Amino acid sequence: MYHFTYHVTWPTSTDGLLVPTWKIAMTLSEIADGKLAPRTGIKLDKISKRYGDHTVLDDVSLHVEPGTVTALIGPSGAGKSTFLRCINLLERPDSGTIQVAGHTIEPGKVVNNKDLAALRSTVGMVFQSFNLFPHMSAMKNISFPQQKVLGRTKEEADARSMELLERVGLKEKANQHPGRCSGGQQQRIAIARALALDPSIMLFDEPTSALDPEVGLEVLAVMRELAADGMTMIVVTHEMQFARDVSDTLVVMADCKIIEQGDPGAIMSDPQEARTRRFLRAVLER
Amino acid sequence: MTWLTEWTAYLPQMMSGLGVSLLIAAVSIVAGYPLGLVLSVMVSAKNLASRTLALAVVEIGRGAPALVILYLFYYGLPKFGIAFESITAACLALIWNSAAYSSEIMRAGIQSVDRGQLEASSALGLAQRHTFWRVIMPQGMRSAIPGLMGVAIQMFQGTSLAYAIAVPELMKSAYNIGSQDFNYLQIFTLAGLCYAAISMPATWITVFFEKRMARHA
Repeated sequence: MYHFTYHVTWPTSTDGLLVPTWKIAMTLSEIADGKLAPRTGIKLDKISKRYGDHTVLDDVSLHVEPGTVTALIGPSGAGKSTFLRCINLLERPDSGTIQVAGHTIEPGKVVNNKDLAALRSTVGMVFQSFNLFPHMSAMKNISFPQQKVLGRTKEEADARSMELLERVGLKEKANQHPGRCSGGQQQRIAIARALALDPSIMLFDEPTSALDPEVGLEVLAVMRELAADGMTMIVVTHEMQFARDVSDTLVVMADCKIIEQGDPGAIMSDPQEARTRRFLRAVLER
Repeated sequence: MTWLTEWTAYLPQMMSGLGVSLLIAAVSIVAGYPLGLVLSVMVSAKNLASRTLALAVVEIGRGAPALVILYLFYYGLPKFGIAFESITAACLALIWNSAAYSSEIMRAGIQSVDRGQLEASSALGLAQRHTFWRVIMPQGMRSAIPGLMGVAIQMFQGTSLAYAIAVPELMKSAYNIGSQDFNYLQIFTLAGLCYAAISMPATWITVFFEKRMARHA
């Protein structure tokens, strides 16, 4: 029998919206039960994607260490979103290998629906447009996938949903429909919905781009906490401050390729590529 | 005799006709809409055979006048030894009609659901059937409600076609009364009012739903 204790610490957020610092101790069996998914990284090798004659991704490779935050920046049309969506196979690349959460996906290899669902439930995704289910309450939005994908009972799922709603500071919105929540609140519910499936990796596709800057902050605060907790995250973003402060690796994409990657501070202060310099000047001097 | 006293005298007989009309309309909606839902799913199915079949049913139902289908059921099918009572034939023809029209409205409703809903469902790992029945359908049907209510009103008015095969519905009652003492003007005005008494409030309800829907879009 293993006895293994896992400590999770949540820092208090600056704006006081979020839950105070608390600790949970978990045994390995609880981790195996899926309460806390094991940490896994991502390996993407030589990913290419074309739509007809139009190339979107050209031989892109990226390795993400478990428990790290990778910020993906670059001009529109660089292929950032498509690249992100290849990780959970919302887009199927034409060539290249994807290793994620114990699954290896190669071109030509048929992925059955069961494996696909398993992969997708270990990879959480948050969209620019939230994509909450408008006909369900916040609680139901979070509970329903748990019941269908993980087979949790309604009681188990609701308890977990409540816990997560509290964590993103929206306990009082549990019975409200998304239409009654602000954009920032909707995005936090969407994050809770993704977390409810106990993913080991979280993908964020411009999570604050549809929000006004002030509201975006409350979403970024949740993401900071998640990063501090050691969640493996890939974030497509235009939030340079967030990329600098939170990410371990900054990846710059332009013209269907990764043109530069490394320490965020180093790249921002001293970009090696002319294209990176041009892009950074455009976003930072705005 | 004034119109009003005449109308009062005719009303009981008219009411029984109205009852039959409402019954046919109800049957064509209650049976036609679920069938329409099945057709709307089949039309966008991957299977070519089911797609072709559904398309044929929908296109005939919408392309041919309801009266033609009604005659085919009542006068045509006995040729193959299939004979229906007039009211059954009327119901079947109108079920086909309402299934065809409602399926197109439901299909449009389903297609109007934001693509992001599908992506979010996929990203969560939801099975296709859960995505369809629990995420896409409820939203698609919601936006289809005003259209479906419109078709329901059309179906009610369409029941007047059953007069042509001697179903004792509202028009038939009116004609019978009219032919007794040739008060056609009074009696058909009354028939029109009876149809309007049902259709107009139904239209108001539809408009109310449309406005409500627009507000909560």
